[in-house]
Formats: sequence, C-alpha cells, structure tokens
Amino acid sequence: MISNAVDRAMQSAGRYDQAEAYASDTLVHTVYIDDSKISNIETKRDVGMMFRMSKDSRLGKSSVSLNSDDSVDRCMSMAESVLSFSPVNGEFRGYAQPGNARIAQPDVWDRRVENITADELRELAKCIIENCRVDIPRAQIRVSTTESRTMNGNGVDVGHRSTLVYGHFTSMTVRDHPGEGMETFHGTHLDLDPVAIADALSDKAEAAAECREFKGSEKLTMILPPSEMGDMLMSSVGAAVNGENRKYGSTMWKDSLDSQVASESLTIVDDPTVRAPLSCVFDDEGVPTERRVIVEGGILRNFMNDTFCGDSTGNGMRRSSVEAQGSYDRTPVIKPLNMSVKPGSYSRDQIVEQTDNGILVEKFAWPEADELTGRFGLNVRCGYIIRKGEIVDVINNALLMGNMLEAVANIEMIGNDPTQMGVVTVPTMSFSGTELVGN
Amino acid sequence: MMSGCTICATDVQDILSKAVDVMRDSGAEFADARSQTIRNIGVSTTNGELRQLVQKSTGGVCLRAWIGGRWGYGTVTSFGKDAIIDAAREAVRNASGERKSDLELEPSTVKCHMGAQVRIHPDSVDLSEKISAAIDVDNAQAIDDRIVNRVGAYSEEVKENCLVNSAGSDISWQEVRTLCRAMAIAADGQRMERYYDGPDSTLGFEVVKDADLELIGRTAADEAIATLGAVRAPSGNLTVISDPMVSGLLAHEAMGHASEGDEITKRRSFLTDAVGRKVASDIISMYDNGTVAGAHGSVPFDDEGTPSSCTRIIENGVYTGYMHSLETASQLGCRPTGNGRAENFGKRVWVRMTNTYFAPGEWDKDELIADTKDGILCDKMINGMEDPVGGCFEAKCLRGYIVKNGEVTDMVQSFTLTGRSVDILCSADALTKEVVLDGGMCGKGIEDWVRVSSGGPYMRARMIVGGGQ
Repeated sequence: MISNAVDRAMQSAGRYDQAEAYASDTLVHTVYIDDSKISNIETKRDVGMMFRMSKDSRLGKSSVSLNSDDSVDRCMSMAESVLSFSPVNGEFRGYAQPGNARIAQPDVWDRRVENITADELRELAKCIIENCRVDIPRAQIRVSTTESRTMNGNGVDVGHRSTLVYGHFTSMTVRDHPGEGMETFHGTHLDLDPVAIADALSDKAEAAAECREFKGSEKLTMILPPSEMGDMLMSSVGAAVNGENRKYGSTMWKDSLDSQVASESLTIVDDPTVRAPLSCVFDDEGVPTERRVIVEGGILRNFMNDTFCGDSTGNGMRRSSVEAQGSYDRTPVIKPLNMSVKPGSYSRDQIVEQTDNGILVEKFAWPEADELTGRFGLNVRCGYIIRKGEIVDVINNALLMGNMLEAVANIEMIGNDPTQMGVVTVPTMSFSGTELVGN
Repeated sequence: MMSGCTICATDVQDILSKAVDVMRDSGAEFADARSQTIRNIGVSTTNGELRQLVQKSTGGVCLRAWIGGRWGYGTVTSFGKDAIIDAAREAVRNASGERKSDLELEPSTVKCHMGAQVRIHPDSVDLSEKISAAIDVDNAQAIDDRIVNRVGAYSEEVKENCLVNSAGSDISWQEVRTLCRAMAIAADGQRMERYYDGPDSTLGFEVVKDADLELIGRTAADEAIATLGAVRAPSGNLTVISDPMVSGLLAHEAMGHASEGDEITKRRSFLTDAVGRKVASDIISMYDNGTVAGAHGSVPFDDEGTPSSCTRIIENGVYTGYMHSLETASQLGCRPTGNGRAENFGKRVWVRMTNTYFAPGEWDKDELIADTKDGILCDKMINGMEDPVGGCFEAKCLRGYIVKNGEVTDMVQSFTLTGRSVDILCSADALTKEVVLDGGMCGKGIEDWVRVSSGGPYMRARMIVGGGQ
C-alpha cells in the first residue's frame, strides 16, 4: 500500500524542482495493566504519507492518513496549496542525494514481534503482575512493526522496516505512605525479561516507601543510573550537538568544534550499527547513516545534521524510539540514532564505594536539563545519601540543582552498565558540583 | 479555502452505527465507535525565514468494546466500511478473556450535532495571512544584536468528531484551536536566555486578528535580553508569589492529576478518600471546567460522548470531588464528569483535565507585593510534573524577581518549586482578584498529550525553591 502511494505521488511530481514522498505503515499491539489487572488490549493500524516539494525556492508540504482512495491526491493538492502561498525560502538546500549504504543492515526486525498475538501479550503482562511483590497501578507493553519508504526526485528510493518494543511500568507499595517505582524498556526485540522487571519494580517501590524528607542543603556528588542519565544526556548534550541549534546560534557549544567541552573520560558515539530502536542504514530522508564520533576524550568532534542544515550526517528522523505510529505525520528533525556513551570500568557499587559525599538518584520527578542552558533543578522522588562510600539514608522531596553542560566537564566516574534508554545508550555516571536543597 | 479532506469523520456515521451493532452482536456489553479527522496548519519562522509550513489531515476510527470490566480497542486509519467492521471485531476479541468485573457503565444518551463557536473560522482565512502572522511576530523581535534566535509561530487545529454508542448516542461536533507564539533567545558572551509570549484558545482566527503581534514579538525580545542580567535564584523554603501561569501549574500538577478518577480507583492518589477533608487554606477553591468559553482545554463533549461540565475539586479549602470517565464514575458510583479524553482516535481514553484553575481572591497585585517582606515573584512557567502517589509536585519557572520589603528588586533566572501539595495550599494566605488561563499540552505519565489550560490568580504561599546553576 505505501509503495503504491509513494510511486503515485512521485509520478506526478515532475513539475517541481525537488520532491520527496515518505510513507509508513505501522501495526501496533498494546496491553495495558491497571491496578495489577489487564485492562485494555489495543490493535492499531496506522498508514500515511508526507509529500514535500519545492519550486522556485518556495516550499510545500503536507501529510495525510491513507484512509481513502483519494488520499494521495488530497495530500498533493494540500501541499500544492501550501506551495502557492509559501514565501521564497533562502535556506532550502534540497532533499537528499542518493548514496550507497555505509553500514550493514542492523538487526532491528524481530519475527516474534511480527507474529505476536493478543494472547501472548496478555501472558507477558500476566507474568509481570504475578511476579511483582507490590501493586502495579499503571503499565503498558507496546510492540509494533513499521515499514516505510522514502523516495525523492534526486534518485533516492530506500525502504526500512523495524520492530519496536516499549514498556513503561509503575509500581506502588500499599501503605499509609506508599512508595512508587518505575521501570522502562526500550528495544527492537521482545527480549524483555518479565521476572527481572517485576523484581526491579518491587525493589524500587519498597525503597521509595522508606524515604524520609530531606532537610537542609549541601553540595555533593550526583550519581545517575541509566534510567535517569538517558534523558539528562539527551536534553543537554543531545541539544548541544544538534546542527539546527548550531545553525541558529542556540547551543552553548556552537563555537566549540574540536574544543574540550567535557572531561577526558567522556566519549560519545552515534552508533546505528547495533540493535537499537532507531538504528538504520538510511535515515528517514534517505541519507546513508554511519557510526560517528560526537565527543572524543571530551573534545567535540561532530555536530549532527539533516538535509535542512546541509552536510547531512544521516540524522534526519521522523521515527520515534518509543512510538511507531504517526511517523508520516512528522517532519524530519535532527535526532541521534543511538547516542552511546563509552562505558567505564566501574560497577555501580564501586562508584558508590568511592564516593565520599553524594546522592545516588533512584528517581527524579522527570529527568531533564534545560536544552538551552543545561541548567536543572529537579525534584528527587527517591535518592540514596552516601557518606564515605556507604548508603546511609534514603530521601525524597528535595531539589537537586546543577548544570549538565558543566557537569559533563566534572565527571568523576563512568559505570560499566550501558543500558538502552530511547535513542541513547548510557551507563551509570557520577558528577561533582551539584547541590541538594530540602525543606 | 479548501477543507483538506473529501471523506471526513462525519461522513461515516452510518458505518459507525453498524460497527456498534457488530460489537453488541458479538458480545460487547457496551460499545462505542468514534471517528475523527484532524486538520492542522503549522507555520514557523526562524530569524525571518520560513522554517516550517505544513498542512496535515489525519483521520481514523476508534472502536471500543466493554466486556467483563475490560476494554478492547480496535483502531484504523481508514474510513472504509470493511476496515471499520474488521476493527470492531478486533475490539471485541481484545476485550474477551477472563472477566475482570461485572461493572456496568452508565453513559448518557445524547443526540447532538454542532459546529465550533468561533467568530472567524480559520478555514475562511487565506494561508498567506497565517504566514504573515508568524513572520510579523518574528520580525518584531529583531530589536537588538543580542537576539540570536527569533521564532514566530502560528498553528491551527480543526477537529471533526463523530461518536455513536450502544446507549443510543449520536453526536458530531467540531473543535477549533488557534495559537500564535513568539520566542526569542538572547545571548551575551557565554550566557543564553529565552522568553516567550502569545495567545491560545478554542477560538478562531480572531485570536490573531485581535492580538497586537508587534507587541507580542517585541515583548519576547525585550524580556529575553533583560533576563541576561538575571541572577541565580535563592534556594530554601521561601515565600513565593506565583503568577497566574505558575498558579495554574500548581493547580494542575499539585492537585489536578491527583484528582483524576482512575488514580483514585487504583488508590494511587494521596487524595483517595479525601472528600470532606481540609486540604488547603480557607481562601482556596479550585475547579476543572471544560465549559469555559474560548479556553484552550474546553470541549463540548469528551471522547466518550459525555457532555463537558464543571467539577468542584476544592471549595473554601475543603476537598469536594474527582474528575471521571465512564469507567471510573461507575467504579465510584458517581456521574461521569466529561473528563474521558484521548489524544486522538489512535490513543486510549483516560481521565484527563480540561481547564483547571484556582478561583480568585480579594487582593490587588500591587497590594500583595507591598505586603510581602521577603519572597520571590514568579514570571512564567517552563513545565511541571505531578506526583499523585507522594503528594508532591515539581514546577519549573522561566524566571522571577526577588521581593524585598514590599518592593520588586532583582530579576532571577529559571528556578524550580517543589513541596508537599497540601502543605503549600494550607500556607496560601493571599490571592489576587483576576484569574488568567494559559493553554498547553498535558501528558499522562509520559505520553497521551491532550490540550488543556490551567490558571488562577497571583497566589502567595510557602514552597521549596531551588535555582539551577
């Protein structure tokens, strides 16, 4: 279906200077757990396309769900309408040029996901419920298949198919002052371990139930496990190395190429060659991808670009690492394919043992630094206070403050436990110079 | 202007009725079928150049079957009869299995077909005017070399909904939302700051026509430059005067999410069994009201076909009630409140807020500041996070001012507020007279974004404050 739509759109696109059609077909199965019971099971089919073109430096763009016979014509007619009103755009450099694949096809298709049934999903959810020692108030497991095709007037014609598995789980102890835990799973294959997830959910909720309110304020070392580190890295470093932010002057690292921006221990590679949700041979604009060093020994080596920014690095993505549906509805944006921090040699226990005064954050309200400045002030839902290498307390209801773009220059230790968290793969990391404030 | 679609959600009413019949005949105790087309136009400019200009039209049908206390969903992006009937059968299959409960739903039966209540429908306005709006707010920001990044944005959404259920409801309605925004980034050496401004609503293009676009753009730029001189915010347990935007964030994050009926039925909220309990000082009243004319979160019906309503959540400091979907209302023996909402046809229906706000008080803003000896005055929010289990919240503020001996003094850069929701609201001792609502998007957990607004008056209370470095 999507191949026909793309062919049909491009066959009538000859009158434009540049044209591109992208279509995707997604099948999503989701099981929801509410209150430790399976509440909903969903099956969703989502098919659509986006058409983009330029003529005389004017741009047109439209997207539609492919829900009727005239959907492709409607899409092109809407794009034509946009084009006719578009002012001249001096920034547009053209869509992708054809190029040969630079990496081998990564392992991103799981036949188990392709063939999954509602009963199998139900059993997976049941296994988590039965093995969890505490309540599961809310959880979901979502598995999907996506097939897409990108074609443009420059000769690009590439297809992609992948599977996606995403799990989000919350847990809660039943007490007067309950504790809450959370786990996520990001992957392409159904290698989610339900018993391990149930154990982690139980441990986290029980630990959170023991929290006491932190009082006072102090400077200390911040230790972030992968669950919190992923979004903290993405919102700070991910934004700082985004080529569009550089183009528009809205990254603190805009003039820092080949300069030291972080500790020498930090090396970051965007690696689409391994099994990861957005790994692919061509990005969603049809540009070949490759393994690319972003930060090497603390030195900024590369920014990430799409075709809009020019010199595309193959990071123009419509697909999401957590949700398969709707990729045709999204204009490509610069996104890491799999931004991986080179792991260190320390286990999490060793990092704790070697920390004199610190906090190991089990859970923030939401791990996020300011994309522009790197600043953060985050509510700690559950954190372990460390004194002289030992956990002495578990606290909540405090603010941990710092700046991630400064923190990466103050790395103390990097763990040996890299974990996939969406579009990043990160280990536990510790940073000096943060401040904890309580009541 | 073109409507952007030849088959719309409202053209499939008969097929939806047949799909509901199929689900009932296949064993569904209750069933509904909802079709939706969503048409968007988005324009954004950066530094005077067009960055995005797009028209979108997505649409599809969501079928739900209720069997044994469980929902089964089937969703398709097709308006074809065969695909819809197949999805209806899939919904029944997904709902089948071991019975979860014998809970019966009590939907209202509504027959109503209505358009959007707007003065200037966006469909009647040339795209060139919409592009001009974005360019005008962008160009108005070009006032100083320190403005390194200017963004002007215009967006509109026209949503056509059609719902048929096995209780005999037959509804169609249209929602229109229009938004115009300026965002400026200022830089001075290695320091960068931003500021934003602009209106949003469930109104039509009158939102843009009635706005002073030049002023919106210039304000964003002026204030971004001014923020470059802001100092780090103090930290500790401080007196805070929240502006209407941050007051709204407190209403939404501190009490709103914890008042969603599904959090209560799971006993996941610190407000479970709280009706009749004192949770705030006497001056605090709070509502969720989906009927506020023109507000960003207003809807005539929720996504289950229940008419929107005003839910009293806190009345003079006493907790009074929860928001409900069909399912949670039946679980708790209440009437549905019109809060069963979904991001779109492809997403699950949850209990969600609409327009959530604190009622006004009796103070003037100047009087409130003059009465504050030592505190911090908030100016705009960034985002927030709820904590229904722990009874806390997190609110990030874009910037603020130190208040010393009744006077506004130094500007402070972004900071975060937190604390126990009940403690904070019990410490509230002053509210100003005017309530302002601010539109935005609300996720539940980490996804499922719906359009809401939140607001309130200026409010003085004690909170934990922390400024980032």
